[in-house]
Amino acid sequence: MERVVIIGGGGGGAILANLLPEEFKVTVVDKSEVHFFQPGNLWIAFKGVRKEKFLRPLRSLLKPRVEFVHDEVVSVDLNERVVKTASGKSLSYDYVVFASGAELDYGSVPGHRELLERFGDFYSTPENAEKLHASLRGLKEGRFVIGIADPVYKCPPGPHKAAFLSWEFFARRGLSDKVKVVLAVPVPHAYPSKTIADIIEPELNSRGIELHTFFTVNEVDVANKRIVSLEGEELSFDVAAVVPPHRGPSYAVNPAEVKDGSGYIKIDKYTSRVEGFDDAYAIGDCTNAPTSKSGVTAHLQAEVVAARLQGIDARYSGRTNCPLITDGKGLFVISDYDHPPIPVRLSKFKRLMEDFFVATYWSAVRSPELWSPIFRAYFEATDEFIRRGEGW
Amino acid sequence: MPEITVDARGMACPGPISALTRAYRNAQNGDLIIVLATDPGFEPDVKAWVERTKNELVELAKVDGNVIKAVIKVTAKK
Ligand SMILES: Cc1cc2nc3c(=O)[nH]c(=O)nc-3n(C[C@H](O)[C@H](O)[C@H](O)COP(=O)(O)OP(=O)(O)OC[C@H]3O[C@@H](n4cnc5c(N)ncnc54)[C@H](O)[C@@H]3O)c2cc1C
Repeated sequence: MERVVIIGGGGGGAILANLLPEEFKVTVVDKSEVHFFQPGNLWIAFKGVRKEKFLRPLRSLLKPRVEFVHDEVVSVDLNERVVKTASGKSLSYDYVVFASGAELDYGSVPGHRELLERFGDFYSTPENAEKLHASLRGLKEGRFVIGIADPVYKCPPGPHKAAFLSWEFFARRGLSDKVKVVLAVPVPHAYPSKTIADIIEPELNSRGIELHTFFTVNEVDVANKRIVSLEGEELSFDVAAVVPPHRGPSYAVNPAEVKDGSGYIKIDKYTSRVEGFDDAYAIGDCTNAPTSKSGVTAHLQAEVVAARLQGIDARYSGRTNCPLITDGKGLFVISDYDHPPIPVRLSKFKRLMEDFFVATYWSAVRSPELWSPIFRAYFEATDEFIRRGEGW
Repeated sequence: MPEITVDARGMACPGPISALTRAYRNAQNGDLIIVLATDPGFEPDVKAWVERTKNELVELAKVDGNVIKAVIKVTAKK
């Protein structure tokens, strides 16, 4: 029986573990006993939804045949085929899959950690999202600033969703004239893709959300309530949340060259195979694949790796499907390695589709084999639009 | 004068500008950042970036057919 060790039971790792058939002896190692649905942080922070809705014991999401080891991985030796953990376990494998996500680095921007401790954020944990909710409830006038500290971060539409949802939060409380929502992005337009920026910018303008482009957060001065950008500008705030720089796994990997300059695991973007090894794969946010860091990517790469371990020559096209919602409408940023995001229309229906994806999440993780045909049909139908470069 | 080369060929918008931003974070005044890109949007973007950040655009040219080469002298870092 071939032994597969999966590092991380987040979106990608849990789906992969559940997709592998009984012929494999599958072990998932995760330092956390709970799995949390990360997009839920936005609902906790801006809508006050209870965090329990987005948390499940990881064990309960894995099929009974999958072994769960609650432990932190401290090193992986790809030559010796062994994964070591903080409690001293050595796990040998026939195949290893890195699925440990991106690490959030609050230490590299001066003042950032202090900002997080003071106000919370909508990005890191459900607890910090609760804290941000409390901070926003206390804000009766002034400026709520959303910033980004590095152009590479998971869920590219996340900060934009935060801007629209926080605007809605203040509008509902009759505070739209008193509280200014400010969105600062590192890129030249409202959104990384110009096509999507052209759709979003009028929506930000019509709500009076202040937009700053070419603003990469470089320093936070919590005492004086100002944020300084790498490009040399300053913004004042009353409450602020900044998306932190991300990096790849901090645990040691031998050989060290399989990590790139930011610590991401270098993979073949189609097969997810770790560069230089045919018994090691990496999926999701921990890789250097040139596509959005998103749950959709992690899920599709998990399907590819599950197929490849069973001898099928599956490939990931780089497909993304990131929802960007305003208060009432939504769109999906869809693209693949060969095609930039296509022009799309904001609609109430797509907003509902996001709710549908949220509602199906737990079931899709636990029983991916049931949901895969449905998602596949959706992806195949919408791939047509990408190929034609047409709106959807 | 230290040179930092950023090869952003093949990256779609705003990949080249993002790569420039990341290189700029580690640069110092006096450094030269050389960016190679194939995305046509890079040309207006880099002009706007230089104007905003008040660094110096030493060269912006097409090389090897469709490759855009931008040479930026870092002068505005605080
Ligand atoms: C606010 C927000 C909104 C988002 N919205 C969307 C969205 O709408 N759509 C979408 O597709 N994506 C969205 N995302 C992104 C999505 O959540 C991630 O891309 C996805 O979770 C990545 O899955 P993963 O399996 O690679 O990593 P993760 O889900 O992050 O899982 C990594 C796992 O590895 C474990 N781990 C880490 N290090 C170790 C270690 N050393 N030892 C043992 N275990 C370890 C962690 O505990 C964790 O369980 C959003 C993210 C955020 C923050």
